Amino acid sequence: MSQAFVSMRSVSKTYHSGRARVGALREVSLEIEKGEFVRLGGPSGSGKTTLLNLVAGLDRPDRGEVFVAGIDVGRLSGSRASKYRAEQVGMVFQSYNLIPQLTALENVLLPMLALGRTNEGRARELLDLVGLADRSDHIPSQLSGGEQQRVAIARALANDPALVLADEPTGNLDEQSAERVMGLLTSAVRERGRTLLLVTHDRDTAQTSDKCLEVRGGVVTSVAG
Amino acid sequence: MIWSKLTFGGFGRRFVEAIAAATILAATSAAVAASLMVVEGARTTLTRAISQDRPDIVQIKSRFNRALFETPRSGNLPPLTIPVYEPLINPVELERAAGSNQVVKRQSLFRNVVTGDSFLNIYVFGIDPDAERGLSSFSLARGRFLRREDRAVAVLDQASARTLGVDVGGSFPIRKADGNDLQLTVVGILDRLELRGAPPRSAEAPSLRPDSTFVSSGAFVNIHTSEDIFGRESLTDALVIARSAAAVPDLVAKLQEAFRLEPGIFVTERYSQYQRKVRDFVLTLALFSAVSIATVLLAGSYASNLLHDIYVERRRQYATLIALGFPPGMGVAPAVIFGLVLGLAAVAIGGLAALAFVPRTFAMPSLMANLGPTEPTFDWAVACCLVAIAIAAMSVGLASTLARLLREPVAATLSEASP
Repeated sequence: MSQAFVSMRSVSKTYHSGRARVGALREVSLEIEKGEFVRLGGPSGSGKTTLLNLVAGLDRPDRGEVFVAGIDVGRLSGSRASKYRAEQVGMVFQSYNLIPQLTALENVLLPMLALGRTNEGRARELLDLVGLADRSDHIPSQLSGGEQQRVAIARALANDPALVLADEPTGNLDEQSAERVMGLLTSAVRERGRTLLLVTHDRDTAQTSDKCLEVRGGVVTSVAG
Repeated sequence: MIWSKLTFGGFGRRFVEAIAAATILAATSAAVAASLMVVEGARTTLTRAISQDRPDIVQIKSRFNRALFETPRSGNLPPLTIPVYEPLINPVELERAAGSNQVVKRQSLFRNVVTGDSFLNIYVFGIDPDAERGLSSFSLARGRFLRREDRAVAVLDQASARTLGVDVGGSFPIRKADGNDLQLTVVGILDRLELRGAPPRSAEAPSLRPDSTFVSSGAFVNIHTSEDIFGRESLTDALVIARSAAAVPDLVAKLQEAFRLEPGIFVTERYSQYQRKVRDFVLTLALFSAVSIATVLLAGSYASNLLHDIYVERRRQYATLIALGFPPGMGVAPAVIFGLVLGLAAVAIGGLAALAFVPRTFAMPSLMANLGPTEPTFDWAVACCLVAIAIAAMSVGLASTLARLLREPVAATLSEASP
């Protein structure tokens, strides 16, 4: 029996806030094939980011299993989870999370540094891909929000990961920048045949995605594109 | 380059706080180092007191006679008034009272010696050569030292030998109690000697080092020879070595009991003085340790709080590194290295300042009356304490950030609003 590239089986996750228990995900099961572009929508606080963090190995499910490329992500130890993220996952965050004291080029080199194999030529190629070849020596504070997110996309692709996870990458951008960033992200991922799991409120992406999922109250449903 | 930027770059306004934390740590380290240096100096003084004072030794001595004088056979010299112990101690009684503790017997007598044109007033010490060498220091310039089986041989200090005009192989006469002369053959010349618990200072023969109880000149013979000269076995003085310093009070009580009927015999010990020095050391230790602890707690916690602020602001950076695939240890490595470099640099500056400004000798008369001036000492113990302060400040400052990163999901930190 062939297994999907990303597979979640009956995954539940609850957060504790003081005495209150907040159910982020409830019995979530989904499958994403390799090379698929999946859009994950839903209202704020519905569990989208939690789902993304579980797939990235940044968090562990309370119940259920999360498999990515045959790896049981939910049961990885700290160092194995780090290796998994460095080799298999590229992440794009809403607030970019660039290191402020590093230049754009150095930020792109960081994931390579995690694997101990920096390639400045490849980092420059990626910056060229996102249209920032001439801004490689600029630090994040010298770049606009859109430019910073493009650096973050280049960084996410640095180790040529099989899976790219993007958490509302256009959430902090104006319409024009958002459009450009989204175009860059989807085209870069599709050109490389990589899998993209995109959390977004942008309904336009539904037209370009292979699959649309909706998270409401911790429950994932499939919706028409 | 990237790692150095991750570790030391991008502090912005927090740079001032880092400098403030380093300054406070340096001042803390200087105060702690100075206090600990005094404690270490006091410890050295106490150790020296133990080795020099030998609190485990009890001295038995007869009263000394100030009226004793010797008239030279020729010449017209005035009578001398020189202190010499009287031979009142019964060695059998002493051995019995000392029990299993080692007894080092002595006979010290004063004689005037005439050789040719030379005349010298000299102390003659009858000693047990083997036991005495373990207590006193004899350094031979030539010849050999005394042996237990020797008869009618002597070892002289260089000054006395020069005055008497004798050298190794030569001889000089000593008047015995029966009025006859005993020729003593010189077998060794001493260039330095320190006799523990010697007779009190005198003007003529035994020259003493200032502030020392050590005789630094004289003629030494073994105790059998001195018995021949004296014409009796009773001792002028003796040392009893207790099995341990703590056993001294019991030993003193037994000796005092044994000689209670002899008012001319005195038992003296250094144990009480040693105990006062120990008490002084404990007080010094307590005072300066309290100063150190209070300084570390107050200033160290403030410095740690400043470091904490710096770490909190950089939490997102550490979380980002972990999210990008760096192992958690590597993710927080820049924080640890930054804290250690900052802390160690600060304590190094503080330590150097303490070394530069702490006085060479230190004394608090009311507190350290018996310990005397101590020399503050910078040693490995002080250095280790300073390094511990740097590590503690870094650890306390980093603790909450580290706990947050390692105990809570990294995702929670990444989801926080940007500072």
